[in-house]
Amino acid sequence: MSLIMGCASSSKKETDFYDLEVEKFSSSVKSLLTDLEFLKKEILKVNANKPSIQRILIEADNLWMKKDLKQASSTLERGLRIAKDESSLYLRLAHLRLEQGLVKESSAFAERGLLNKGASSWELLLLKIYSAQKN
Amino acid sequence: MKLSLRLILFSSLTILLVICIAYVSILDSRVINKLEGVLWTVPAKVYARPLELAEGGNINIGQLKKELEILSYEQTKKMPDNPGEFSLNQNSASIFIRGFKSQEPGFYKLQFEKGRIKSIKRQDGISIDLIQLEPLSIGGMFPSHLQDRILLNLSQVPTDFQEMLLIVEDKNFYNHRGISLKSITRAFIRNTRALGIEEGGSTITQQLAKSLFFSPEQTIRRKIKEAIAALLIEIHYTKEEILLAYINDVFVAQAGRRAIHGFGLASQFFFGTDLKNLTLDQKALLVGMLKGPSLYSPKKNPDRARARRDLVLTLVKNDSLISEEEYLELKDRPLKIIPPTFKSLSKYPAFNDIVTLDLRKNFDDSDLRTKGLRIITNLDPVVQDYLEESIRKTKAKLEKRYGSQLNELEGAGIVVDSFSGEVVAAVGSTKPNIYGFNRAINAVRPIGSLIKPFIYLSALQQYGKYNLSTLLDDSKLSVPLSGDNVWEPNNFDKKFHGDVPLHLALSESYNVATTRLGMELGYSAVQETFTKLGIKKRISNYPSIFVGSFEMSPLQAIQAYQTIASEGFFSPLNSIRSVESSEDVLSLSYPYKVEQRFRSEPIYLLKFVLKQTFISGTARGYPLKVLEKWKVGGKTGTSDEQRDSWFVGYAGNYLMLVWLGFDDNRKSPLTGRSGALQVWKSFMSKLDPLSYEVRRPSRIKYEWVDVKDGLLSGQKCKGSIFIPFIEGTEPEIIPQNRKKCRINKESYTSKVINKIKEAIEAK
Repeated sequence: MSLIMGCASSSKKETDFYDLEVEKFSSSVKSLLTDLEFLKKEILKVNANKPSIQRILIEADNLWMKKDLKQASSTLERGLRIAKDESSLYLRLAHLRLEQGLVKESSAFAERGLLNKGASSWELLLLKIYSAQKN
Repeated sequence: MKLSLRLILFSSLTILLVICIAYVSILDSRVINKLEGVLWTVPAKVYARPLELAEGGNINIGQLKKELEILSYEQTKKMPDNPGEFSLNQNSASIFIRGFKSQEPGFYKLQFEKGRIKSIKRQDGISIDLIQLEPLSIGGMFPSHLQDRILLNLSQVPTDFQEMLLIVEDKNFYNHRGISLKSITRAFIRNTRALGIEEGGSTITQQLAKSLFFSPEQTIRRKIKEAIAALLIEIHYTKEEILLAYINDVFVAQAGRRAIHGFGLASQFFFGTDLKNLTLDQKALLVGMLKGPSLYSPKKNPDRARARRDLVLTLVKNDSLISEEEYLELKDRPLKIIPPTFKSLSKYPAFNDIVTLDLRKNFDDSDLRTKGLRIITNLDPVVQDYLEESIRKTKAKLEKRYGSQLNELEGAGIVVDSFSGEVVAAVGSTKPNIYGFNRAINAVRPIGSLIKPFIYLSALQQYGKYNLSTLLDDSKLSVPLSGDNVWEPNNFDKKFHGDVPLHLALSESYNVATTRLGMELGYSAVQETFTKLGIKKRISNYPSIFVGSFEMSPLQAIQAYQTIASEGFFSPLNSIRSVESSEDVLSLSYPYKVEQRFRSEPIYLLKFVLKQTFISGTARGYPLKVLEKWKVGGKTGTSDEQRDSWFVGYAGNYLMLVWLGFDDNRKSPLTGRSGALQVWKSFMSKLDPLSYEVRRPSRIKYEWVDVKDGLLSGQKCKGSIFIPFIEGTEPEIIPQNRKKCRINKESYTSKVINKIKEAIEAK
């Protein structure tokens, strides 16, 4: 975590996170970033800005914990219909799709999330990691 | 002699007995087959999407009102205190929702601010994040007999309803064996006196038996058959099973060609909610109708229906199910039934066709007609209503302007959520509610200039070679064809424009420059872009395809634009959200499918030009504030001799495509601008969509260039335009005469001005 944050904190502006090239990270950082369990834990900590989406996240996370990936996914998609500017939804969908074995779609959800103007630096960095998974 | 007579008698009796046994066993198997077959044949029900009302959600008060009206909620002046009522103030709405699945019925107050929901509160003042309205029933997949029903289990049938039903129809139900001799004797005496059939005397079991044979005849022979069948039913099934079969099977109403069977569907049909949510007066109305569904129909004969309801309430009161006070209060209530949501097979025929196409990929016909599936579609009834109204009203306006030559004008329109590819509305005719030729799917027509963005996107992907200021040649072009034939494309204004920058060639829709560009790129490069946009059709190797001889249906064309509107992310169009079994178990989900088909930079450049359509092109005229709010882009299309008028455009997350033309392909006075665009404008002004902020790709930089030669220019130079480039592809040459008016790029003021300008443009 500190390795990533160290890397992230070296950037001054938020847009710098958007420009980060995960491929150029050192191998030790990269190995951490490929630890899916670690990433999942980090993603589940990302909250929504809107209370209605937060409620949906809780519902989806519970389904996810029960390994009901289909219902968890459709619950998150329900959230996207209400708010398309919530990074928490894109991040969860990116990871869910990876668990479903859909690597290209995981990356596409992350890329979509990266276009979200309201994403925080930490969310951008996580999205960058998922968008790079296709490589 | 005596012996042989006995033998004959014995033989005759034996034969008669055998015949009787055979008859009863045939009847028995018929009864069982019917009960286990037809009764449990439940057509699939098709629903619109359920509307989610969330704190911060994008919906304005007008759209909510429209949704509630479509769902047959009643607007009241007082605070709503019954399910299905609502009231409105300037910035707030109070709704008593009917309830749907886990959403309990109840009162909620919503506050609105700037086209969004600011807060949702329960009656006790507690804030709620999210509520859901019941989805509109929009159609079904019916078997040939057109019987429709919703199957209930006994736990879904309220006890007071069961009691009421038995009080009115068969008080002795739990004590007889299928037939009631007392009732039959009473009916027999009365009918003999009247020399005809005046009274039935049938038990619930007999009525069930009667309905299974589908015969309306009133004869003694049929009565006997019915009685035997009733006895057989009682042998095979428990009382609870018989009662439930009756509740699910009894005929309650006729809606066009569709027969409404069972109280599960009747409750939805007359009151828009589940049987469990009905009040006692509503239950009494349904029970009362059984005596004569047509005679006591609250739609056709409201006074008779009310008198019959009151009689049921009297019987229920006499049986002490309700008190005198309750009776008086219930009797005072008006009928309050809702109009049917759809009369024939579907409320929205064109959308229904798209749903059927999507369903056939996963379900066979018999599953759809018998298994009681619940199909939740993506249809947004408010958007659909706006679309239908826009097509109708625009046609009427055009007829007024161009006269009777447009009487037979036809059209199609599709609205898609560009983000997800969800089809939210569709119309296949200028008479949207009539079944017939569905032009949204089946009118395959030349798309005119709608093809041009696909060709320019092919070029912009080769960003080392093409940028928005690359000069294209729009001088006269002669393309040799087979033999001595030559094809010479022309521009709409019949003029040639020499060298024009790429952005101008597209925004002004120059045919000649586009043909040259297409030929320069080559058919295979253009084909590759087409494929990435989801166009399955192969392009032919004729240059005329670059200026619109390429034919597509509206549904195919809007798929191609979905990827452009959605920043390069392809999502296959989809009309269905989920399919559930009758027990509310998810049978099949239709998850979001997203694939990045194009890098965001070339799409950004293309969308910059498509936005010009609204700033200086064919769709100009909107205030800048509206354009910024909607984040628009679009393209008009007109085929040869104005046989087809097209417009496709996005605003917020809504992508809409419109086609207008004639079925016999005759010429029309309409261009894309004067025809299809007018439908789009009428629709979007009703919808007034909000958009969300999308980040500009980091490699995009803006630069001042000359609008004619495409070379570097300056803010203060005449004829300059501020346009985006992919970093490193911007022009480098500054003509001598512009050096003075170009502000030094390095100066602080210049930087600030450019940043502000970039921010405005990026919006």
